[in-house]
Amino acid sequence: MTAQAESAVAGPSPEGPATAASTRGLRKTYGRTVAVEHVDLDVPEGAVLGMLGPNGSGKTTTIRMLLGLVQPTDGDVQLLGHPMPDRAAEALPDVGALVEGPGFHPFLSGRENLLRLAAAEPRLTSGRIPAAVDEALERVGLTRAGGRRYRGYSLGMKQRLGLAAALLVPRRLVMLDEPTNGLDPAGTREIRSVIADLHRDGVTVLVSSHLLAEVEATCTHVAVMNEGTLVAQGDLTELLESESPALEVSTTDSAAAVTALRAAHLSARPTPDGVRAELTRATAPDVVATLVDAGVPVYEARRSRTGLEDLFARLTQDSEEAPTWRS
Amino acid sequence: MEVMTEPARRTAPVSRLVRAELRWIFRRPRTLAVLGLLGVIPVIMGIALAVADPTGSSSPGEGPGAGEGGGLLATAAGSVLVLPIAALTMTLRMLLPLAAAMAGADALAGETATGTLRGWLLAPVSRGRLLLVKALGVATFTLVAATMIAVTGAVTALVLNGADTLYTLSGTTLSIPDALGRIALAVGWVTLQLWAVGAVALAISAFTEHPMVVLASVLGGIIVFTVLGSLDALSWLHPVLLTEAWWAIVDVLRDPIPDADLIGGALKAACYLVIGLSIAYARLVSKDG
Repeated sequence: MTAQAESAVAGPSPEGPATAASTRGLRKTYGRTVAVEHVDLDVPEGAVLGMLGPNGSGKTTTIRMLLGLVQPTDGDVQLLGHPMPDRAAEALPDVGALVEGPGFHPFLSGRENLLRLAAAEPRLTSGRIPAAVDEALERVGLTRAGGRRYRGYSLGMKQRLGLAAALLVPRRLVMLDEPTNGLDPAGTREIRSVIADLHRDGVTVLVSSHLLAEVEATCTHVAVMNEGTLVAQGDLTELLESESPALEVSTTDSAAAVTALRAAHLSARPTPDGVRAELTRATAPDVVATLVDAGVPVYEARRSRTGLEDLFARLTQDSEEAPTWRS
Repeated sequence: MEVMTEPARRTAPVSRLVRAELRWIFRRPRTLAVLGLLGVIPVIMGIALAVADPTGSSSPGEGPGAGEGGGLLATAAGSVLVLPIAALTMTLRMLLPLAAAMAGADALAGETATGTLRGWLLAPVSRGRLLLVKALGVATFTLVAATMIAVTGAVTALVLNGADTLYTLSGTTLSIPDALGRIALAVGWVTLQLWAVGAVALAISAFTEHPMVVLASVLGGIIVFTVLGSLDALSWLHPVLLTEAWWAIVDVLRDPIPDADLIGGALKAACYLVIGLSIAYARLVSKDG
């Protein structure tokens, strides 16, 4: 692509573990409606953070406050080490964003739309603009459609043009609000590969999505929002494992297995093809050793992982009205 | 051509933004349609008046006593000087202000509606710069619109009657440079009035994401102002009404030019301009993008 993160000149690195973006006590109210409250979000540098939440849970509002588009009612926002929205001029040149769907002029071609946006990019010299636009179009697979009017674009092409706009300049942080909206499976895969490329180049990515499988496949971290508050955040694998630490063991003699484990004061219960041992007081090797010592044949042992879907459902369904998740 | 080599510039140069803005304005089909329509009006006026009164075209206006409307139109058909200014006078009542309002509506409300304003805000373009660029865009468009009318008006009269028709409403005849100077003065003065309308349109535009609201407000405002201006009982209010200044444009056609009303109108427009842009700025900096 282009000259890499030499542009990472701005911004003193924040103290403590490096975060590309963070909020403290973030709150936004519209009249009496509380859109976002008590949000302490941390986006670790270099992470791909998936932001999950039902519609109306405050994801977009949080993203818009991170970008300085919306003034928080209360709380602090740091973006690449700069307080927002006051120091937007320092932070935003290194941030690419696709928020609330792509916005372009229908009577201009995709390329002309990007040229117009590129004119406002501080990091681009006037001479570099056409090349940067062409590279961005190529990156999202719109080189051939670049000359066509935006009016005639399909939903997926519009979404890709929005992504191209976010990638006009090498960024340190890229925020994508529902980037796979309206994309077919191939388009979704392409977005996923763009995110993977960014991740490999050390770019921090914040992506909000309602597609759980999507997040599970591409993200290193997750943040789950519900009704305007952050209900969970952290490393994806850790979050999933902390859910129900258990070991699923396949054995032909589950009765003996349960007996052996209970004799060792480990809670266990039989399952159709073996036994399930809770890992609250023991580690996986302990369980396997106990079984082997007792002469129980062990065919297979694996950590039981809750899917992101289960975690998400548990985190967001505590509310009176369970959010609908089907659409 | 600016040379930009600093590695980490924080803002794009204003000149580049203005160029991008102008390209956007003049690539719009709507802009071109409005300019084309405005350009045709003097042609229609000239032809219609020539057809209606073929003999009147060769006689000068009946002098100051003939009254503004009738005398102006009767003279308009025949004169290279009068037709452009008559066309400006007529279109300044409604069409030109609407064109200015349209430009102001598209600049902020229209861009908010399509979600394109966000792109520049995220680049980032500071909100003050954004307003500056938008105001310059509206200013350029209104200048082009007024110039368009003057040029097609002059060309139409030239084609219909030749160049030896540079008489004023006062009956005197002007030299060609003098006549061109007066047309330029009229275009400049009308453009300033349109900037005032455009500034008010930008102010309304900053409050809404519906361009139609801006157009309707400006249209309604002009109608209300015109009605208020026609009521003698409200004469104390007239100095505040922008539309009341617009009659002064005809003074450009008198010899010598009575400049009091023209200067007063220019100052009034400047006040509207400053107030409109101030409100637009105040709203824009506090607005959620």
